[in-house]
Amino acid sequence: MKLKALLGGAAIAAIALPGLAQAETFSLWVRSDGSEFMPKLVDAFNAKNEDKAELQIVPVNELVQKYAIAAAGGSEPDALSLDLIYTPSFAQAGQLKELTEFAKSLPYYDNLSKAHLSVGAYDGRIYGMPFSADASVLVWNKNLFEEAGLDPDKAPTNWAEIREDAEAVAALGDDTYGFYFSGNCGGCNIFTFMPLVWASGGALFEDEGAKATVTTPQMKDAIEFYRGMVEDGLVPAGSQTDSGSNFFAAFAGGNIGITPSGSFAIGALNNQYPDLEYGVTYLPGKDGGWSSFAGGDNIVVSAKTEDSKMPAIQAFIEFAYSPEGQKILAQNGSLPVRDDVAEQALEGLDARYMIAAEAMAKGKTPYSPVFNDLINSLNGPWVTMLNRAFYADSAAEVDEAMEEAQDEMQSIIDASR
Amino acid sequence: MSDQMTAGAGAPVPKKRRRRRHSQWTGLIHVLPALALVTVFFIVPLGMTVWMSLHKWPLMGLPRFIGLDNYERLLFDKSFWSSLWFTVQYTVVVTIALLGFAMALALIVQGQGRAVSAYRTIYFLPVVTGFASAALLWVWLSNVDTGLFSPLAQDLGLTEGRVNILANFTPAFWSVIVMVVWKMAGFFMVILMSGLQSIPADYQEAARIDGAKWLQRFRYITMPLIRKPFALALILCVSGSMLAFDQFYIILSGGPQNKTVTAVYKIFNESFVSFRLGYGAALSMVLLVILLVLSVLQLTLLSDRKDK
Repeated sequence: MKLKALLGGAAIAAIALPGLAQAETFSLWVRSDGSEFMPKLVDAFNAKNEDKAELQIVPVNELVQKYAIAAAGGSEPDALSLDLIYTPSFAQAGQLKELTEFAKSLPYYDNLSKAHLSVGAYDGRIYGMPFSADASVLVWNKNLFEEAGLDPDKAPTNWAEIREDAEAVAALGDDTYGFYFSGNCGGCNIFTFMPLVWASGGALFEDEGAKATVTTPQMKDAIEFYRGMVEDGLVPAGSQTDSGSNFFAAFAGGNIGITPSGSFAIGALNNQYPDLEYGVTYLPGKDGGWSSFAGGDNIVVSAKTEDSKMPAIQAFIEFAYSPEGQKILAQNGSLPVRDDVAEQALEGLDARYMIAAEAMAKGKTPYSPVFNDLINSLNGPWVTMLNRAFYADSAAEVDEAMEEAQDEMQSIIDASR
Repeated sequence: MSDQMTAGAGAPVPKKRRRRRHSQWTGLIHVLPALALVTVFFIVPLGMTVWMSLHKWPLMGLPRFIGLDNYERLLFDKSFWSSLWFTVQYTVVVTIALLGFAMALALIVQGQGRAVSAYRTIYFLPVVTGFASAALLWVWLSNVDTGLFSPLAQDLGLTEGRVNILANFTPAFWSVIVMVVWKMAGFFMVILMSGLQSIPADYQEAARIDGAKWLQRFRYITMPLIRKPFALALILCVSGSMLAFDQFYIILSGGPQNKTVTAVYKIFNESFVSFRLGYGAALSMVLLVILLVLSVLQLTLLSDRKDK
């Protein structure tokens, strides 16, 4: 199958005459999270253009390794839709082509997702451009709110309100809980817990990821907020060992009052759990305000991609940014990354997407070339700290966990430079 | 040998010699496939690992030769030594539990009869399950909200409320031990059983007539005579446990709080999460040396003295 494709490619290359304008085919990888929207976008592009994109979907957990192995053997894809947080580390490793000029030449450059572009930059140049988007939000179960005597349409707007609502829902009975989070999942918590800290004025990194700032009062407050709910039994015991497998499923089960989640949950709940009445709101700060983690993918181009393929790749990116492309993305589970056409792209869809889109527009993405080491690793300092602190018996243990994480994060950052 | 070859062209070769040379060639031909396999799949990768361990070798980008820096670094890497220490503790506990249990099973099923062969099959069944699937089964059974262990503990009166056995070190550690024993005991049972069956029945009978009790017969006849299969089981168990990874990765992900990160798990993290391939290679070399020493030690201690 692969050999055939290779031979086919070689034949096309041999037939094409140099100097003539010709249709280009470029290879494109996407992580499996994009398996809904990407094939549809590629099909629409291929149907309309002389140039063709050849898509390959790669399992999300294997993408970085697979790309690196392919790159070592010279068979890396021409373009790649990459979890945005990896853009700095790919750029640092010299794997990416600079896209600054192309990006800035777009008339709607200022309307592209700021968060995506912030992690797409390295050393002042742009290597990754916004592609797909997923923002973190807070969801609540309206059925349970009603049963608990709460106003099902009133979203909690600060931590005290979350806590009150969670208590009311938990009082319903043994198998009903007020709140849920995956207590042993670094990726889930950078996505859904960190915005609570941001909205209260804290940060995790400073100086483009050169400095870790774990031991802040805001972080401590947010941890104590979660720890208090754990201590009072508002959170199911299973959360302590959940390394992400229950991140979405727990709320979908229908016995959880409130949980932080992502915009992806809107489509998934609508399709798979039509009976569940739920609301979507922003992740609030301690005393109000809100924030969000802007997740999703950046599109990047491999450093070794031939210049002759660039026009085709640029055409594809521009197609993705067109109102038509943004609509295809929005209808298949990704938020728009261009805010001037977001409303148009989301027209006719579930109104709750608008909240997620707004969260996205103001969302943040932490910047670090060693994100995997620090945050996503199952044994990294971030998840180790959270797991220990959320379920700690004393406030002193929380402090200790935070200080250890601060030291370890800083030493990992320093060692990588 | 080369003299024979040149001199032998055309000249009649003495019969005896020809036969010997013939057998040398056939010997070589017979081991050639194995030799090729060992070269391709063991010696070459080993050489590459050594080479890699002398480099700063990121997953992406160019490797850089740094000599022994990786080895120097690992000397002061606390997390590596603590993972190694945890692996040793696990190996000791699991080896005692596993071989003890396997021995008991082997004694039960060493006889003949239809029921016995049914038991053998039952005890052996978990062995054919992959470690990953067995571990996943365990994760599911241990889930505090939906699994079976928590309500079982409650019904037996061991705990008052629900209990998340994977959330604390001691119960989490023992649950992995139980899983491994359940899964692997059948395998070691077969090895020990073959040893038991090779003991001539008259030895036991003679001892019985002499008035030896069961424990005495076990101590003075059974154990010395199954020394070799026991040594094999011990070496397999120790080297297998020192390389433990899947069960800890899948069931506990190194948790709670990274207390169950084994040596191989640490190597995996360095190589494929942090993408420090050179450093991962250096750690692998250290583990290889430790395993070599352990195996030689066990072989020396357990080899039959009469053989020497």
